Amino acid sequence: MHKIADVEIAKNIMAANDKLAHKNLHLLEDHNIFCVDFVGAIGSGKTALIEDLIDNLDEKVGVLAGDIISDFDADRIKSHNAPVVGLNTGTECHLDAHLVSHGLGDLPLDDIDYLFIENVGNLICPVDFQLGSHMRVVVVSVTEGDDTVEKHPYIFKDSDLIIINKIDLADAVGASTDKMVTDAKKLNPDVKVITTSLKEGKGLDEVIEAIKDAKAHGVEHHHHHHDHDHDHEHSHEHEHTHEHHH
Amino acid sequence: MHEFAMAQGIFNTVYDTAIANDANEVTEIVIEIGRLAMLNPEQLKFMLGVMLEGEELTKNAEMIINTIDVEIKCHNCGFEGIGNIDDSDHYAPMILCPECESHRVQVLNGKDITVRSISIEKDDDED
Repeated sequence: MHKIADVEIAKNIMAANDKLAHKNLHLLEDHNIFCVDFVGAIGSGKTALIEDLIDNLDEKVGVLAGDIISDFDADRIKSHNAPVVGLNTGTECHLDAHLVSHGLGDLPLDDIDYLFIENVGNLICPVDFQLGSHMRVVVVSVTEGDDTVEKHPYIFKDSDLIIINKIDLADAVGASTDKMVTDAKKLNPDVKVITTSLKEGKGLDEVIEAIKDAKAHGVEHHHHHHDHDHDHEHSHEHEHTHEHHH
Repeated sequence: MHEFAMAQGIFNTVYDTAIANDANEVTEIVIEIGRLAMLNPEQLKFMLGVMLEGEELTKNAEMIINTIDVEIKCHNCGFEGIGNIDDSDHYAPMILCPECESHRVQVLNGKDITVRSISIEKDDDED
């Protein structure tokens, strides 16, 4: 004779990653490091922006450079005399908190003020995976097509700063920078949208100011990440139910 | 694109729970997927199905996938509840308040992937 039983599990599949992300954030805060996760498509200008920031910020920057399987980005950043660790995801389409935790172990955390994480070039998968950063910056270029923002609402909704790059090429590719700005503001009315031409150094000052401001005053628009300003017993009032299993 | 990793996480949870509860067989698995989780339920179902078929314990399990609506909070009018449901525009709920049509909305729920429960068969001589 057999009996049938129902077993309640209520396990959030993302909880393990969220927990690790929280740990990463604590480690970074113990070292007074402000961490920014840069997301955006392949060729949007993430690496170029990070290079410009290293050269122009007056504080020390460490970098975790995510790539599927190469060190090209890490090598570019190395030439700017910043400590960099390459994270190869192998086949995965995004970085996760676990990979980041390994990278943190290889960085001189006592010697840096900022940690920049360059995510894998992808506008979809990184959305679901918190890394433990204070701020998420999304970089999109006009050459990807001016419908790119409205086609990828989640990542723009979940970012704390939106950068629209390569505006010097908008006319050449028939893209409307204005449309992209409008779409971005519609999705995320409370965050700053900055248009840049990194090649011409245009808009860079504004980006620097926004990142410095976020470091000094915290990130207001904080619905994506764990709110580290709150008591840690205080569960995240939105998003994650965090029903820890077993 | 990471449906495989998610399917693996779900499978492991189901399998470990079944073993921990001395199951002879898993008959049903209930999974909840938020409408805003970056997953395609059909792909997930396919991959999880392949994994379940590969084990004696789980090969006959029925998958029940429930979709969880998006809950939002409007910072303009204070509305809190289910966002717009519009299948032709699947991201409408995250950007538009159904009450006042403001874009100043925050997503409270609807992103998670949760293994809710399993039904198992086990020997009843233990109790």
